[in-house]
Amino acid sequence: MNATFFGKATAIAAAATMMMSMAACSGGSMDDSGSSAGAASGNTITLGSITTNSGTAAAYGEAELKGFKLAISEINAKGGLNGKKIKLESMDDKGDATEASNAFNKLAGDNSVLAVLGPTISSTTAAVAPLADQSKLPAIAPAATSDSIATGGYLFRTCFKDSYQGEIAAKFAAETLKVKKVAVLYGTGDPYSSGVGKAFAAAAKKNGLDVVDEENSSSADDTEYSSQLQKIQASGAEFLYAPYYYSVAGPYIIPQARALGYKGYVMGPDGYDGLKLTGDKSQYDKVLYTTHYSPDDTSNTKVQDFIKSYKKANNNQEPNTFTALAYDSVYMFKQAYDKAGKNPTREQVRNAISGMSFSGVTGKFTLDKKGSPNKSVIVLELKDGKPTYRTTIQPSTK
Amino acid sequence: MSGFVMFISQIFNGLKIGSVYALVALGYTMVYGIIRLLNFAHGDFIMIGAYTLMLSIPALAAMGMPAWTAVIPATLVCALVGVLVERLAYKPVREKGNSMTALITAIAMSLLLENGSQAIFGADYKTVPTIVSIPTLTIGQLKIDGATIVSIVLGVVMMVAMQLYVKRTKQGKAMRAVSEDKEASLLMGINVNGTITLTFAIGSGLAAIAALMYCVSYPQVSPTMGMMLGLKAFVAAVLGGIGSIPGAMVGGLAIGLIESLTKAYIGTITGGVITSAFSDAIVFAILIIVLLVRPSGLMGEPETEKV
Repeated sequence: MNATFFGKATAIAAAATMMMSMAACSGGSMDDSGSSAGAASGNTITLGSITTNSGTAAAYGEAELKGFKLAISEINAKGGLNGKKIKLESMDDKGDATEASNAFNKLAGDNSVLAVLGPTISSTTAAVAPLADQSKLPAIAPAATSDSIATGGYLFRTCFKDSYQGEIAAKFAAETLKVKKVAVLYGTGDPYSSGVGKAFAAAAKKNGLDVVDEENSSSADDTEYSSQLQKIQASGAEFLYAPYYYSVAGPYIIPQARALGYKGYVMGPDGYDGLKLTGDKSQYDKVLYTTHYSPDDTSNTKVQDFIKSYKKANNNQEPNTFTALAYDSVYMFKQAYDKAGKNPTREQVRNAISGMSFSGVTGKFTLDKKGSPNKSVIVLELKDGKPTYRTTIQPSTK
Repeated sequence: MSGFVMFISQIFNGLKIGSVYALVALGYTMVYGIIRLLNFAHGDFIMIGAYTLMLSIPALAAMGMPAWTAVIPATLVCALVGVLVERLAYKPVREKGNSMTALITAIAMSLLLENGSQAIFGADYKTVPTIVSIPTLTIGQLKIDGATIVSIVLGVVMMVAMQLYVKRTKQGKAMRAVSEDKEASLLMGINVNGTITLTFAIGSGLAAIAALMYCVSYPQVSPTMGMMLGLKAFVAAVLGGIGSIPGAMVGGLAIGLIESLTKAYIGTITGGVITSAFSDAIVFAILIIVLLVRPSGLMGEPETEKV
């Protein structure tokens, strides 16, 4: 008992010492920037990052952090920005909105921080959005897709927002698959499922598709969909849009639809990533989903360069979607910085990001007035149960 | 597809999920019948059964056995867990506290099992290998999926078997006697504690069979899978009259049919005002109405207060 307590106390003391020395370091750099404004920003630019590095979403945050670090080391290796090296001040929000807010406020209070990368997930990003506007510190969230995040002030995103996938799926159904009769099924109790589903239904009508059936479930984690699918099958639909998560679409919706004799297409949003397959793999033929990034994307030359660079820096491991989006976020900052003029302020960086056109690993895009990209989307198709690259859908030129 | 064939298909959809609810409700009813305890951990016994199936199917397949034989280890594990839960938690609490403490213990046990399995197996969903593959039955335009047939047949067989067991065997008689009056049963030379343990073992063992039926149709497990299933089955047991075996069957099938038919027709009937998303709300609303009219449930005998 005593021994354990002593062990703990020592650990705490050690941690405290480390934290103090870290505080001293950052304190030092703050003093520099404070005392002699010009010289201090002198040879480094500080970027803050807030990611989820512990808790259930830790894998996402870790992947993002690797993407930030890769892009920053590439930029620094080529001489930095305007001759200045980028320094990353990374913080963990533990997937918690309060932690994310505290981290953001801390970065906002540090005058040397020019912009923030992150947060990782939608809930923490939504909490940070008003803080970014208040403190006038620009932030780029790589992968927060929720429609409800207040972007467009000082917060921008690299990923497309959820409902955008519904619009792209309708375009894909009409122009590439050339189907006529489509149906949609979504869970009204889940903002992701219903948001994407409703966006699809509206866009399908605009694209001249005949929406023959629109069905709902109470929640997005029901197990039984046969009743609704039976009606969809009876309606003669050739294409079913079912925005659900991998854990529901895989083992329940698709096999149940096939058991009823539905042979048409089933399409979903990025929630299908990691789809859980059960039984006969052939029932997952004609299953498609939209996503942000594909390592097999041959239409974009930046993809293979990115993979090569990542593998070299990370023991030959494969990067994932989060890494790719995070990597693009840093290059978005670089492009804005270059455009904003010499030694830009936070506000000048924000103005340069707003409405920018960008071409990266996850596609070409222009940020809309609300700070979300109008970008190309990857469509993957399941072949023998494996997601394979099908095509890239370019955004509508409005 | 004609409207009639559609209607029959929807009836079968309802019977499929309804027989799963019925078998789970049977577990609630048996335990409630004998010790007046709402065993909220029953849904989690199904989760344990499902994990046992998932883990034992590959092992049995390697020994050349058919996948459905995994129900044997699953039944044993569930019965064991049920008896342990009764002996270690419910019995000591029942002897010291009142029905409220027993109820809270059941809820605590449910959370313990959910979080325990999350700690062991992780929170992510896992798929269960195919258990039986029965081809789709086609009668004219009507298509009935193999999983549906298995669920309905297995459900009916188990219900009838349990009813016969309780009505015709000596142990069944002992169960009914203990349920009626514990002290009097003791005086008649019935081993009351043994009977309660046996009831728990059978009730929990049934959870493994329910898990098998569930996994045939919905081949995926997660630590929280028993939560909503347990709740719906509890509603089914109350609707049918908790404590009554035929009531569990009727309640389960009724909930399944109501769910399926509201999902299919509520939108058309109300002109799209009420959509299929309301199906759960409608199920619970019907429960309230039935309980207002028949407080003891559809098949329950009106409670005569025992003195």
